[in-house]
Amino acid sequence: MKALAWVLTAGLVVGAAEPPMPAWRDEDRKSLENGEILPGLELLTEEMPEVPEEAADVPAPTSDEVAAAENASPEVDEEFLNAYFGARPETFLVDPQKLLGSEDARDRESFLKYHSGDSQVDLYVYLFDGHQAIPSGVREEEVVERFFSEGKPAVVVYYYLGAPQKSDIYVSPLLSDTVSAPEQRRALISSVEEALEKPDALAQIEAFCVQLSIRIYWMERAAGLVKDVPVTPVARRVKKEVPAKVESPAVLQAKAWGQRYGVAGGIMVGALLVVAGGLSIARHRARFRFPSFDVPPRLGGSHAAGIGAVISFGSTTQSPSSQRNDVPNYLGL
Amino acid sequence: MKCPRCVQVIHRGAGLCPHCGFGIAEMDARHGQDNVSLRRLADVAGLMKSRERSKVQGALDDFSRRFPQLFFAVYTGSGKGGGNVRQFGFWLLNRAAFEDVPVDRPNEAGILLVIDPETKAASVTWGYLLDPYLTEEDTFLGLSRAHAYWLEGRFAEGTVRLVSQLGKILAKRAAQARRDPERFERKVAPPAKTGEIARRIREGHRQVGPKTTEVAK
Repeated sequence: MKALAWVLTAGLVVGAAEPPMPAWRDEDRKSLENGEILPGLELLTEEMPEVPEEAADVPAPTSDEVAAAENASPEVDEEFLNAYFGARPETFLVDPQKLLGSEDARDRESFLKYHSGDSQVDLYVYLFDGHQAIPSGVREEEVVERFFSEGKPAVVVYYYLGAPQKSDIYVSPLLSDTVSAPEQRRALISSVEEALEKPDALAQIEAFCVQLSIRIYWMERAAGLVKDVPVTPVARRVKKEVPAKVESPAVLQAKAWGQRYGVAGGIMVGALLVVAGGLSIARHRARFRFPSFDVPPRLGGSHAAGIGAVISFGSTTQSPSSQRNDVPNYLGL
Repeated sequence: MKCPRCVQVIHRGAGLCPHCGFGIAEMDARHGQDNVSLRRLADVAGLMKSRERSKVQGALDDFSRRFPQLFFAVYTGSGKGGGNVRQFGFWLLNRAAFEDVPVDRPNEAGILLVIDPETKAASVTWGYLLDPYLTEEDTFLGLSRAHAYWLEGRFAEGTVRLVSQLGKILAKRAAQARRDPERFERKVAPPAKTGEIARRIREGHRQVGPKTTEVAK
């Protein structure tokens, strides 16, 4: 217990110890006494006291070094060109210069593989440094046409690490017919904008790949490579396909006749209908008159004595002639 | 031309039937000699429904429209005074005064159909104007068209058929009469006198010799 108290006390004493107070130099004291120095004057002015530059230890570049720096080519070194453009890449991330660390490269590659498994269009990213340029002898379009004409459709991006705005996009010939150049451009711009929102180069390439993967999904739909599949199956009634009717030769012949003589026949039928209609109207309007002759009255009838037939309708089994109520003319007149 | 009672042929202008002595006076004695007021369609026996009567009336109107001189009348019922349907039709067409027939169409231009439901018989009678144009066979043809309907009690339809059939016959006869009226006039011309017949016979037997002027030459 005593030992603990001693330790605490010693700690307090050490903690309470203050740094040493500044001490006046003799010449400063004399200047102060002469009024040349005002205490605290430095705190009231914004001007900083000039600090004399210390001589740099680094030697100045020579003229040869400056000329070499001016002539330094930003192009990709030739030793990597074959790795970049010699064959169709086996990985989705093409980085022969090892610009990304192994772990970051593995992450990007795994994402691009996931995209490939989930999409009908692969995404290949050729990685260059931000200040680099592809040699003028390399034609990017030709590279894409040469290596990506066959196999799965692909989108090829030349990405510049730290400078995503320099990126270029190309599509394989299978997609170039259905995905227009402006649409490709919009996808690239959208991905670049996503990348530029990130603070560092690694985050930029990650955002770039994610956004471009999303845009490729819409390219697939535009190209007709993806069709909407209903999540839940809808019950539909199976339609019975009615077999096409096989028309008989008579029908075919009738159709041929109709095509050949249809117009003339129609005109003739129309004319006949007009004539028949006219005759019907004429018959309806026809009036029949009889010449009137002097007929001497008979049997005392002043108006009529025309005796016609008498028919009986009492039997359903006999003909009308047999039921004619007639009396034979026994005089034979 | 026949007698309505004995149905024997009588000569034109006979006051009484030379065979049985039938005349209208006999029928007047049975049914009366006053005029009987009727309409063209007199369904006294009630054989037709209201809707059917309108159909028959339409047929009668159409007949009158086609034949501006004629009219067609239908009477259903039996004469209470006795006699057959032929005699009754003869008397009715002479004594009827049709209310719905214009005065310019006298009974001489009428055709009367009488349907007697008691005796199940029907007859057709016509006026003097139609004497040259209608025959007993024509009326029998019309009655035959209606016979099947009347057997089934469809009196209106049968009547319409009869009117239509007689209309067709009369239309044909009107056209024939327009082309050759003399043919029909001869049918109703008064009979030649006995002396006239003898003169024609003698002229037919006389030899036709050369004229006097030709002999002198």
